[in-house]
Amino acid sequence: MYSLLLVFILPALGVPFVYLAGKKSSRAAAFLVALIAIANMALLFTTVPEILNSPTHEYIEPYEWINILQSDFTLFVDGISVSLAIITTLLIVVAAIFSVNYMEGKKNLPVYYSLLTLLSLGLVGVFITSNLLLFYFCWELMLVPAYFIIGNWGYRDSYRAAFKFFIFTHAGAVFVLLGIGAIYMVTGTTNMFDAQAALVQNVPGVVPWILISLTAGFAVKMAVVPVHMWLPDAHSEAPSPMSALLSGVIISAGAYAILRLSLGAILPAVMDPSFGSFGMDFMHGLAVFGVLSAFFGSLIALVETDIKRIIAYSSIAHMGYVMFGLSLFPTSTVAGVITITAAITGTVLHLVNHAVSKGLLFLSAGAIMHQTEIRDIREMGGLAGKMPFTAVASFTSALSIAGTPPFACFISEFLIFVGAFEVIQNDGFFLWPTAFMLIATVISLAYSLRYLSYVFLGKAKPEGEKKIVDVPIYMKVAMGVLVVFVIVLGFWPTFFVDLINTVQFL
Amino acid sequence: MISDVSAWLVWLLPLVSSLFVPLIARFSEKARNYFAVLISLVTAILAFSLVPDVYFAAGETVTASASWIQSIGITAGVLLDPLSVLFTVLVAFFGLIITIYSLGYMKEEEGLTRYYFLLLLFIGSMIGLVVSDNFLQMFIFWEMVGLCSYALISFWYKRPESIRAGAKVFLMTRIGDVSLLGAIGLIYAYLGSFSFRYAVANIATIPDYTLTAIAFLVLGGAIAKSAQLPLHTWLYSAMEAPTSVSALLHAATMVKAGIYLIARLIFILGPLAVTIPFWLPSVAWVGVLTAFVGATLALYTPDIKGVLAYSTISQLGFMMTALGSVTGEAAASLGWFASLFHMMSHAFFEGLGFLLAGGIIHALGTRDMRLMGGLKKAMPITFGLSLIMILTTSGLPPFAAFFSKGLIITSLTEAGDILQIVLIYVTTALTFAYSLRFMKLIFIGKESEHLRKLHPHEAPKIMLYPAAILAVLCIAWGFVGPWLGSFMGVEGEVSLLGAFFSLETPIFFAILVPAGLIIYLTYYKQSEVMMRFRSGSNPLKTILKHGYFFDDVYERITGKGVITLSDGVRRANETVMGHVAKPAQGIVNFAGHLRSFEGFFSGRLPQAIANVMVRIARGVQKYLDVLADDLLRVIAHRTMHGAEQMKKVPSSSLQHYIAAALLGFILILLLIILTVGL
Repeated sequence: MYSLLLVFILPALGVPFVYLAGKKSSRAAAFLVALIAIANMALLFTTVPEILNSPTHEYIEPYEWINILQSDFTLFVDGISVSLAIITTLLIVVAAIFSVNYMEGKKNLPVYYSLLTLLSLGLVGVFITSNLLLFYFCWELMLVPAYFIIGNWGYRDSYRAAFKFFIFTHAGAVFVLLGIGAIYMVTGTTNMFDAQAALVQNVPGVVPWILISLTAGFAVKMAVVPVHMWLPDAHSEAPSPMSALLSGVIISAGAYAILRLSLGAILPAVMDPSFGSFGMDFMHGLAVFGVLSAFFGSLIALVETDIKRIIAYSSIAHMGYVMFGLSLFPTSTVAGVITITAAITGTVLHLVNHAVSKGLLFLSAGAIMHQTEIRDIREMGGLAGKMPFTAVASFTSALSIAGTPPFACFISEFLIFVGAFEVIQNDGFFLWPTAFMLIATVISLAYSLRYLSYVFLGKAKPEGEKKIVDVPIYMKVAMGVLVVFVIVLGFWPTFFVDLINTVQFL
Repeated sequence: MISDVSAWLVWLLPLVSSLFVPLIARFSEKARNYFAVLISLVTAILAFSLVPDVYFAAGETVTASASWIQSIGITAGVLLDPLSVLFTVLVAFFGLIITIYSLGYMKEEEGLTRYYFLLLLFIGSMIGLVVSDNFLQMFIFWEMVGLCSYALISFWYKRPESIRAGAKVFLMTRIGDVSLLGAIGLIYAYLGSFSFRYAVANIATIPDYTLTAIAFLVLGGAIAKSAQLPLHTWLYSAMEAPTSVSALLHAATMVKAGIYLIARLIFILGPLAVTIPFWLPSVAWVGVLTAFVGATLALYTPDIKGVLAYSTISQLGFMMTALGSVTGEAAASLGWFASLFHMMSHAFFEGLGFLLAGGIIHALGTRDMRLMGGLKKAMPITFGLSLIMILTTSGLPPFAAFFSKGLIITSLTEAGDILQIVLIYVTTALTFAYSLRFMKLIFIGKESEHLRKLHPHEAPKIMLYPAAILAVLCIAWGFVGPWLGSFMGVEGEVSLLGAFFSLETPIFFAILVPAGLIIYLTYYKQSEVMMRFRSGSNPLKTILKHGYFFDDVYERITGKGVITLSDGVRRANETVMGHVAKPAQGIVNFAGHLRSFEGFFSGRLPQAIANVMVRIARGVQKYLDVLADDLLRVIAHRTMHGAEQMKKVPSSSLQHYIAAALLGFILILLLIILTVGL
């Protein structure tokens, strides 16, 4: 019925209310943001039965919109997008609750919470539409609130970081717009599925350029090497709840867009024999960029000393894993459809797991900075005794990031590798990227252990005037929720795997 | 049915119960400790209850599975066969022994909630590893075992050495994990299933070269986990753990996982194992070299736990050697059985060694054997038990290792290379030598300075009883051999008398003599020739002191290398970022030049326009004012009346009006949206 429309409308209408509530009490505003996100999550869950049970495994709500462009306000979810949308709402809930204590005493909090609501609109919107125009609209919508949140409530030289973030991702968005425009020019439709069908039936020569343009644009948001430059600054200068969202969801949106648009919609047309081996080369290129990102991010995280920059670089590394997983996208059709493989299941599951784990890691880093007012990990040490709760949260998330079972990220990385070995059978090229990615997991364990040892283990440093104690209650609640998710998703990824596995491309 | 339930419970119980440890600790610390003991006791009983089921199943395997990630065909399950039950019993039994021992050994430590939580998790994970019926589940537990040992080794998290050791263990074993992960990925890619049973039936469908790759990748995993050359160095560093943890880690969990893995792979490969080029010889060579290197280092190190650590490395080498001497019948061959037989003997004597070492360290407050000596008088029971431990380690009859080591040598003599056989004999002699040295340095002779100051006394009973049980097993285990043979399905191969009268036994005894003599002269007699040799610096000493330079190389190449590389990457990254910033700076500069125009465009011009506008507006306003005044007067007059009545309605702040206005605005918006489409 109107589930997805409501998902759109609720945060949109919520913005002024959040602002007004924030005027009374910023706590009320935070809870309102969380409440809206929880309502959205519930609404998204109502679409799950239909996705699982309907023959097409998707859920569509078509509305008319801009008729001149034949552009409909089509709201659409399938197994992949609903998984990511659900996890997005979860992170928004957690970020809002975490902010209650974390942002206490900061200025202009009503505006902060209103912007957070607006951001959630754009973020969720990206995942729940199949219309290219609406997609682009939401894509840009997440940029503006993110810019202001980073700039206004961030650390140190925050507007500079925010500006960098804006310029880079906006430049990426230009390429996206170029690609979307080209698709519209060629096919005359803004619905991605119609466009895909049209492109496959009548392959225009420009289609490789569309593929490159879209992928390049999305890759900026995803922050793979070499277009990662905005990420370390933005992630480390943003307030921690925002870092959690940036690292957990915003960069995942880039990966989702590559999967949905570049690979799902454009690649089948590019695999047309008239382009020779371009499609295969393109996929190999993605794998190489994935390996580069994984090594680049992991290696820098191994020597970086700023607590949040370590995590930021680890995000680049993990987007490397995701990029590698995406490069394993099946290039051939079986009986006219592209069935989902272990690699793609793993990749999407990794987006989910990474969002939860990295969100938790950023929140716990924020907790540490909040309580100790230190950023340099060399000045920390022995915090496990003083902040046991935060220590548990950090160990859970950092070990998950390192791909250690029973925590979430292990199972998704495992699936990516299993998928890689399946692909190697047909395409020997992937042998070396796979081997390199396996080695990268060792480095990711190394930087995780280094981070944990420096911050939590060892002798406690002499305290300053302020006595270091564990975090207040709302931060505990926020982190606790994610700890539970990181562990449960590690043991029981079944819900998301089942959902993701229903998806059929083409 | 009963075996079904206990097969699940035997690993789920400790895993799930571990979560209750922190809860119970809130009420009472004592209750927490006894809870841990209770759980490990129940686990041990469950484990033993599995034995008759498997024994009477006569070669049939018992499996049970449950759905897990159904949509990609992954199930969770347990597999009970002689191999897995043997390991389960060992782990559960040792878990019990160690938990009881910890009551005494860890008595005065802080953070025991964490300790018992991790201990139960460790036991549960290891049992989970050996009873898993598929590669994925096994790998998850494989990693969890690594995780638990990381956390337990760095248990004293304030000591820098512990932290370093924990991280080293986790990282070095991760190298092997990656290798194993590769193997599992390949198996799944070719078979489409993780299941062991499916693999047993279909392993022949995998192409030869892939099978070779899989076998070697699995070996890589085992090498790291079971501390084989060249990745053995982590086991020595792991000595930073509490001794109770070391005992568990050496005897039953963690390092035994690699042996299990290879044994399982040979079981799955069946007769194919011999056909894989260079594989079995590689396994044997890794084992032989590890056994030799470990024994030589045990002869050198001054650390009491170090001797035991290198001894474990060496004994694991023996087990690996035996696995490498497997013949065509694979899991029914002598080598396979000998390895597992020795695995059990080793668990008993090495576990005993660690429990006793724990008592000694407690009493003396040091791990340095050079500070010890003459402890016999102060700790007579420990001395007696140590004697049993040492005799078993050396492989003298009638102790357990005599039979198991004898079988290994027999098996190797049948299948191995002459050089391997010679090295194994030399290693048994070295084993005898380091055992004698161990006894001399700690117990025999005059009381040392350190000892006289301390007045040490015997370890508490709660620590001695578990040790005594192990000592009894050291004696009894060898005689269980024939029965174990029929349990594992290698009937008739193992006979007790045969062990005494085999050709290998005289050689074995003959070679012990010179080894014993050298140690006697060096340590007991302290003869001048030997002392002179020892006091001078010689290359052999340097090599042993540096542990064959393995760690030095790793730190140089991997440690320093990776850090240098990372620093380079970071600097390159910053440079590139700087260059990227340049065009941006250019734009900013350009904008700066534009500023001079800004004065006109944003200052004077708008001002002039504004002035004109204002003048016009003022003129218009004059006329409008008059008009409006009149109008307003009329309207105001009318509304005053209404306003008088409005006053009766209670009104509050401005917010309400804004909220009301917004609500209206939103309603309108909703109407518009809803009427546009649908």
